[in-house]
Amino acid sequence: MWKTIIRRVLIMVPQIIILSLIVFFLAKLMPGDPFTGSGKLSPQMDLNQIQAIKKELGLLDPLPVQYFRWIGNILHGDLGMSYAYKVPVINLIAERAGNTIWLSLFSVLLTYLIAVPLGVLAGRYQGTHIDGGISFYAFAIIAIPGFVFYLLGLWLFGYQLGWFPTTGSISIAADGLLAKFFSRIYHMILPAILSSVISTTGIIQYLRSGIIDNTQEDFTRTARAKGVPERIVFDRHILRNSLLPIAAFMGNTITGLIGGSVFIENVFSYPGMGKLFIDSMNSNDYPIITSLTLLFGLMTLLGNLLSDIIMSIVDPRIRIE
Amino acid sequence: MENKNMVDAVETNANTMSETPSGFKVIWRELRHDKVAMISLVIAATLLIGITVWGSLLNQDKVTEASLLDRFLAPGQDGHILGADPSGRDVWNYLMLGGRNSILIGVSVTLITEFIGLIIGTICGYFGGLLDNVVMRIVDFFMIIPTTLVIILLVKITTHYNAVTLVLIISAFGWMGTTRLMRSLIFSQASRDYIAASKTSGTSNFTIMWRELIPNISSMIITDLTLGIAGNIGLEVGLSYLGFGLPPDTPSLGTMIAYANDPDIITAYPWVWLPASLLIMVLALSISFFGNAIRRAADARQRT
Amino acid sequence: MAMIEIKNLKIHYPIRSGFFNRVTDYVYAVDGVNFDIEEGETYGLIGESGSGKSTIGKAVVGLEKPTSGQIIYKGVDITKKSNRSKIHYNKDVQMIFQDSLSSLNPKKRIRDIIAEPIRNFERMSDTEERKRVGELLDIVGMPADSMYKYPFEFSGGQRQRIGIARAVSTNPKLIVADEPVSALDLSVQAQVLNFMKQIQREYNISYLFISHDLGVVKHMCKNMAIMTRGRFVEIGTREDIYKDPLHIYTQRLLSAIPSMSPATREADLAHRKEVEHIYRDEESRYYNENGRVLDLKQISATHQVALPDSELEKLKGGLA
Repeated sequence: MWKTIIRRVLIMVPQIIILSLIVFFLAKLMPGDPFTGSGKLSPQMDLNQIQAIKKELGLLDPLPVQYFRWIGNILHGDLGMSYAYKVPVINLIAERAGNTIWLSLFSVLLTYLIAVPLGVLAGRYQGTHIDGGISFYAFAIIAIPGFVFYLLGLWLFGYQLGWFPTTGSISIAADGLLAKFFSRIYHMILPAILSSVISTTGIIQYLRSGIIDNTQEDFTRTARAKGVPERIVFDRHILRNSLLPIAAFMGNTITGLIGGSVFIENVFSYPGMGKLFIDSMNSNDYPIITSLTLLFGLMTLLGNLLSDIIMSIVDPRIRIE
Repeated sequence: MENKNMVDAVETNANTMSETPSGFKVIWRELRHDKVAMISLVIAATLLIGITVWGSLLNQDKVTEASLLDRFLAPGQDGHILGADPSGRDVWNYLMLGGRNSILIGVSVTLITEFIGLIIGTICGYFGGLLDNVVMRIVDFFMIIPTTLVIILLVKITTHYNAVTLVLIISAFGWMGTTRLMRSLIFSQASRDYIAASKTSGTSNFTIMWRELIPNISSMIITDLTLGIAGNIGLEVGLSYLGFGLPPDTPSLGTMIAYANDPDIITAYPWVWLPASLLIMVLALSISFFGNAIRRAADARQRT
Repeated sequence: MAMIEIKNLKIHYPIRSGFFNRVTDYVYAVDGVNFDIEEGETYGLIGESGSGKSTIGKAVVGLEKPTSGQIIYKGVDITKKSNRSKIHYNKDVQMIFQDSLSSLNPKKRIRDIIAEPIRNFERMSDTEERKRVGELLDIVGMPADSMYKYPFEFSGGQRQRIGIARAVSTNPKLIVADEPVSALDLSVQAQVLNFMKQIQREYNISYLFISHDLGVVKHMCKNMAIMTRGRFVEIGTREDIYKDPLHIYTQRLLSAIPSMSPATREADLAHRKEVEHIYRDEESRYYNENGRVLDLKQISATHQVALPDSELEKLKGGLA
């Protein structure tokens, strides 16, 4: 089993390299200096000045040189300076990253809390109204574009009903550690619930069909034939086999949340990485964009890695010898 | 041939000269009985066709022209059925025009990605081997990229940007899923004996792929196409909402919804953004329901 | 000169393993096989699952690419695709598949299925084609209006007959029948086999009859080869194999044929046990150190057996 995990981790190495190359080439397409954000360039200058400054900043060096310089800087923690905020990019990202990650984790937690009972109910009572209702809910939620869902949720529960705050990650008035903590949670509840509702659909469908399949398997029929009480048949035989695979979904869920943070943070004006990305786009703050794209890509890869590793631990059939 | 009569008497049922209906007609018959599917189809078709036609008949310049006197008119005032937006434009007309644009983009992207996915997936699934390996590595490469982010980025830095470039950019990152799906479907069909039988009958590879394999996955293609349209329209609207979809002067459902980012507008003037939100929701739901119904009907047929 | 000659046919599949997916070993699916098929004869290929018999059949019909060896037809080695295209090989050599359901395209009507080889190799007008398909259906005992239906509307036996009609459509000289009746009920098996025999008599078609069922093969084949692990263990006529089986593998297969008479039940069981016993004891002697089947030795004009030299001596001693 360790062989599989190590092999899988090793596969990530070329993936990370390819990702960095892609981001590098995208960055070279951006105007100005996306690597250090020195701000010395401005469109008003005439061409000769621009060329001279470019040379000074090392932007006319051969591409491999620029690439390795960039990577070297990253590994030293230097992600350049932000045009708009005039602070090191890494500071900005560090501030926001925490918000996004906490929101995502909260969301994953809620996702499993909601999805598992619903999926089990739908599978157990397959064909009844309960199952019909849950399946309908799953179909409907998947179909709606996420951001519309968030927006309507924000409008209904935030503005119309006033149950939850509508912007930000923490209330300015919060004072003291405990108050700050609860304020953060309060701001996270609505976006987390909404995004988890969307994530639950995949798990519910998978869990439901897993339970239905396992119910028809021969080992279940054997257990029943042996006279094992139905409750135990369900818990020990059917559930256990159906629950394990959805652990692997965790990685996918996290990946989806990271990608979707662009939308949800915009709707809720939540200061995380997604909002930072859009704001930077609007203010032409390319150094942040470059670093964020790299970071998002890395987190996606990590999410996939997590999924694959959990899957190989949980399902012995997938292991490669 | 004396065995013939006995054998046939035992084995054959109804012995009529009529033709059995072909695959699509069968699925259609199945669908007719599914009430939800039919309602979804009617709603989806009405919206899609209606909006596209109405929107095309409107004069874009007139609709997008700002008329500050009419700012924020409530629904029903001054001939504006749904009211007016912050620039005084009529919400209903803008909705029709924006809807048409979003639909066209969504449909175009889906057609392109479906076509690419079908061709590449079929070739890889049929031939396998080195070609398949290489192409799959390329697909994996594309899937490493955080697609939404890169699309936004490319939209930002592309010069001479218009609807066509948007369609191309989105398509460039949307073909992977369909390719994988088609490939695995073709894989499972290509190993079956009737393909081997076609080969021994002397049929060329290209003809086999076109005439034997693809018809056998046609129901999956239709399902994927339908669900894809719903998804891609949603994607375009989402991108426009963030400001990175259609160019700013081109109406889109997303730009209308984006007014909701302003806390004043979202509460005080709901008619500005709510109609577009509800429209995209109903559109996406009806198309998706119908797509899922097709999938269910196709599955049911496979089992007989 | 036989109609088709198979010479030293070998088909090996590479096995990839290890971190870099290198080729570490081979599966010797077919490992050096020789035989000829004459015009109008039925040649039987018998073996258990994994013996390589289906692979040989596929190679003969052009679906499988051999690693080495030759298949000579009309003086040409048809293991090369270009040669096959040049002489329109598949017009003369067709195949019947084991699984009748998956061998017919579920989305095509019977008429198009049967007409496919005709459309590829011959020029016929619409009317001529319809007439020919009707004839073919009649040959296999199916009503003409079958051609408008879809495969799922027929039973297994009927579908298999449709498959035969397709195979016969271009007037082939050789049909490779890969377990054509294994998936059918016993009563239906007899019907289908009789159709095959009838067609053979009328059109002088040869069959390469692949099966694991010695009972069926006895009914159909004059000459046959028993194989396992990719090689032949015994070749002979029907009398040679059933009356005088010399390889222990052949003997084991024969003893496993269920007999229809309850009276001899105990005797049969005892005989089967004895053969199994002998097989287990002697098995290692009949294969070399790598488990490979030994080379074939000529016993009589028609009979060849893969015997170890010790057994050969015993035989010669017995005959002398």
